[in-house]
Amino acid sequence: MSVTITPAMVGQVIVSGLLAGALYSMVALGLALIFGVMRVINIAHGTLLMLGAYTTFWWFHLLGINPYLSLLASMPLMFLLGMLLQRTLVTRVVNAPELSSLLLTFGVSIGLVNMAQLAFTSDLRSVEFLTGSFLLGRIALSKSRLIAFACAVAISFFAFWFLQRTKLGKAIRATSQSSEVAMVCGINVRRIHLYAFGIASALAAAGGSLVALMVAIQPEMGQVYTLKSFLVIVLGGAGNYPGALLGGMLLGLVEQLSSLFLTTQLSEAVAYVLLVLVLLLRPTGLLGGRDR
Amino acid sequence: MGSQRCNGMTAGWVAILALVLAVGTWLTPAAAQSPIKIGASLSLTGTYAALGQNQSRGYQLCAKNVNERGGVLGRKIEFVLYDDQSQPATGVRLYERLITQDKVDAVMGPYSSAITEAVANVNEKYRMPMVAPMASTTSIFKKGRKFIFMVQSPAEVYLEGLIDVAAKRGLKTVAIINEDTLFPKATAQGTVELARKKGLQVVFAEAYPKGNTDFSAILTKVRAANPDVLGAATYFDDAVAITRQMKELNVNPKMYGVTVGGDLPKFYELLGKNAEFVYGATQWEAELPYPGAKEFNEAYRKEFPGADLSYHSAGGYAGCQILVAAIQAAGSLDGEKIRDAILKMDTTTVYGGFKVDQDGFQVSHKMVMFQWQEGKKVIVWPDELAAGKVRFPTPPWNQR
Amino acid sequence: MRRATLPALVLALLVLALYPMVATGYGIRFMLQLFMWVALAQSWNLISGLTGYVSFGHVAFFGTGAYTAAILVTAHGWHWVWASLLGGLAAVILALIIGYPCLRLKGPYFAIAMLGLNEVMRVLVSYFEGLTGGGLGLSLPTLYASREIYYAMGATALAATAVTHLIVTSRLGLRFMTIREDEIAAEAMGINTAGYKLCAFLLSAFFPGVVGGLFARDTGYIEPISVFPLLTTVTMIVMVLFGGKGTIWGPVLGAGALFVLQELVWARFLYLHQVLFGAIIVVVVLCMPKGVLGVLQERYRLPRSL
Repeated sequence: MSVTITPAMVGQVIVSGLLAGALYSMVALGLALIFGVMRVINIAHGTLLMLGAYTTFWWFHLLGINPYLSLLASMPLMFLLGMLLQRTLVTRVVNAPELSSLLLTFGVSIGLVNMAQLAFTSDLRSVEFLTGSFLLGRIALSKSRLIAFACAVAISFFAFWFLQRTKLGKAIRATSQSSEVAMVCGINVRRIHLYAFGIASALAAAGGSLVALMVAIQPEMGQVYTLKSFLVIVLGGAGNYPGALLGGMLLGLVEQLSSLFLTTQLSEAVAYVLLVLVLLLRPTGLLGGRDR
Repeated sequence: MGSQRCNGMTAGWVAILALVLAVGTWLTPAAAQSPIKIGASLSLTGTYAALGQNQSRGYQLCAKNVNERGGVLGRKIEFVLYDDQSQPATGVRLYERLITQDKVDAVMGPYSSAITEAVANVNEKYRMPMVAPMASTTSIFKKGRKFIFMVQSPAEVYLEGLIDVAAKRGLKTVAIINEDTLFPKATAQGTVELARKKGLQVVFAEAYPKGNTDFSAILTKVRAANPDVLGAATYFDDAVAITRQMKELNVNPKMYGVTVGGDLPKFYELLGKNAEFVYGATQWEAELPYPGAKEFNEAYRKEFPGADLSYHSAGGYAGCQILVAAIQAAGSLDGEKIRDAILKMDTTTVYGGFKVDQDGFQVSHKMVMFQWQEGKKVIVWPDELAAGKVRFPTPPWNQR
Repeated sequence: MRRATLPALVLALLVLALYPMVATGYGIRFMLQLFMWVALAQSWNLISGLTGYVSFGHVAFFGTGAYTAAILVTAHGWHWVWASLLGGLAAVILALIIGYPCLRLKGPYFAIAMLGLNEVMRVLVSYFEGLTGGGLGLSLPTLYASREIYYAMGATALAATAVTHLIVTSRLGLRFMTIREDEIAAEAMGINTAGYKLCAFLLSAFFPGVVGGLFARDTGYIEPISVFPLLTTVTMIVMVLFGGKGTIWGPVLGAGALFVLQELVWARFLYLHQVLFGAIIVVVVLCMPKGVLGVLQERYRLPRSL
């Protein structure tokens, strides 16, 4: 009862995979940033993405303005919320064993998800703005996914430029190479932590705002993205920023291709099998990362 | 380790406070005049939260309605409700608690086939009748259990309307996709059977995991298989996502039907014009001319303004009414007598026909199929309940 | 102290052994699930509390045990006691296969490899539906044996605790803890770290397997999403941390306290309990990194060997 796979179909899923992958890359870059700078794995990353998606929903629902402009609201909002979380809670576990930060952010995550449930109810929402697709021969390019791809690439590119060129960006990279040395060089490490968490949250929010135009919005939507981002950064090498981008694209492609050649059901497992194989050959990810 | 500003004391106080709160509410004395207690646990949080809450409103409205009419056996009725978080193991524990600790007089079913399958062993053990309005997988009722009663049509016939209409229109091929959990899977298997019986060829069938959001690959395969009919055994969010991505990937079968979710007003709200021409299977529609349906709709709107009204609410309401009627007919709260009373029933509720065989399996209730036409669900199958004609075939996406 | 502990322990066991004579069905079921959590928390403690390798997919062993036992009971008519023991064995075999390669990974890499194991197991169980029923789940023949399962579950929890006691109070435990504190130093001292880690890992896989089998028998119906949920792993971890990780009685205390608290709070705050659960986690991590037991030990000078 299966179908013969044609080159056009392969082309179609490769396109879908790349479109999805860029989004994974951007969201995972945020998680990589937090891990790189603080050695903290932020389980609440997907939760911030969910809140970003709701920001877009309410923006479109109440104001009726082009939902892509809601990026201008969701990113700063989550930037602030991220800094608040860092300032009040996460900062206390920065030097604790990783289990502490995993659990702390997990606690924050279920608390926020449940509050979102109380505030917004569990009803599914969606932003019906751009549906349909452009046709490129036999290959359909979903409009919303294509724009999301473009935005994600632009934002990731900007984030990279920021990390490479600006003073703050350099300070962030210095801190992720070695907190102690950075401190000796006169970098205020606590402030760097604060900004890094803020930027990471803004990246998650951007992901949420873009995803909001593609899938249904509900309070528990974030968990999937936390797990995927986690997978992506380990695949690329935890704390390695180009690694996160590479990992994201790779995950998008692997998911789609395995859905096509095997089944959608098995595609989840394939991604993890691939991950474990990568880790066995290169115990710190494709581009190399840090153990602790 | 970050414990400068916060020490064990604080934590201790928090723990004590929580405990006091909990114990305080635990010990709240029972009401003096004893109403008949009906227990149920529902999925108020977790995966099935939205649907479980709809069902819970049906139960509550039923209790209110019965009490306004003076109750049953001269006593009022009262629900004891818990949240099973959409998890079977929690459901099992809570039903055990309802029956042996809260000493309820009867129980109503939880939401979803999977949880019902697990808790059915508990009420069976205590020989306490359970009307299970939201369980539709046949196997639950074919294990020799005596105290569980089905209210709605089985999962296997959900897409019967779609297949039937397709066969009558001379269509030849069908593709079926489903979420890989108990209820959608049973629906998919049933649909394959139905299609074969009607002489349609199943050209593609595949399952996708629960929580899947990207259907590009599976729909690319559907497009390649090019079926006349696509049946999707879904819940709500996947029904929405699949419809959207079908448009994006330009998958355009002559008929496309979904199961759960397509019937909710939200389906159209979310998809707008893209929901046009989509077929949906449902156990119940507010417009169906069943006795008391109109009054039920009005009362529901008044009691829960703005809340979803779906077949889960109506099913919960009707199931509870059946239990109450059975208690009345039995003239007692004895489990065996209530069982006999339910087995003798042959009636029509706001939810449609109700009659069960010796296994408690539903034999009278009928599924209906509707099609979204200009923002309205128009019932198009079966013929005796149809309010309009099918718009066939479905036009290309850019012409909807 | 020692002299008081033993009689107290015997008394507690006696009370628990006699409890089913007076308990309601709910009481038995409640305690049975509590024992289940004690055993699960205790097992997680064996690998992660003692050697420091954080397993984020421990529920994989639970699910493996559950499916093994359920298949043996339904398809081959085994008695549930033997089926559950074999479930434990299946979990150990799984741990042996993946433990050797995965235990070379460190920190977050090990954690996510274990998370991956769980996802893969769940997908495989869903996929091979001829054997497992796939998404339809597996329904076991009806059997009313709560009381028997109560004793079996209790015995498993007791065994897990006893094993922890034996390890912590022996040289083996010292070696585990050396690995936790500094693996490179441990290796330099000539400790066969790979062997000891694998040993802890296998032990920690056995009990969840058995418990999974008993759980399947007791619930009577299992499906992939109900026996492989990430939340179960997280709950185990929170219980251990709440009680005190790396200790003998911490997991027991944590599992008991949290499970009772959840049950009391749950019923009354239908919509808020998750917020409370989240708040508890945050408070535990920030205020009691050594758990309740740690706080008690510091305050009341309880012996460190608890």
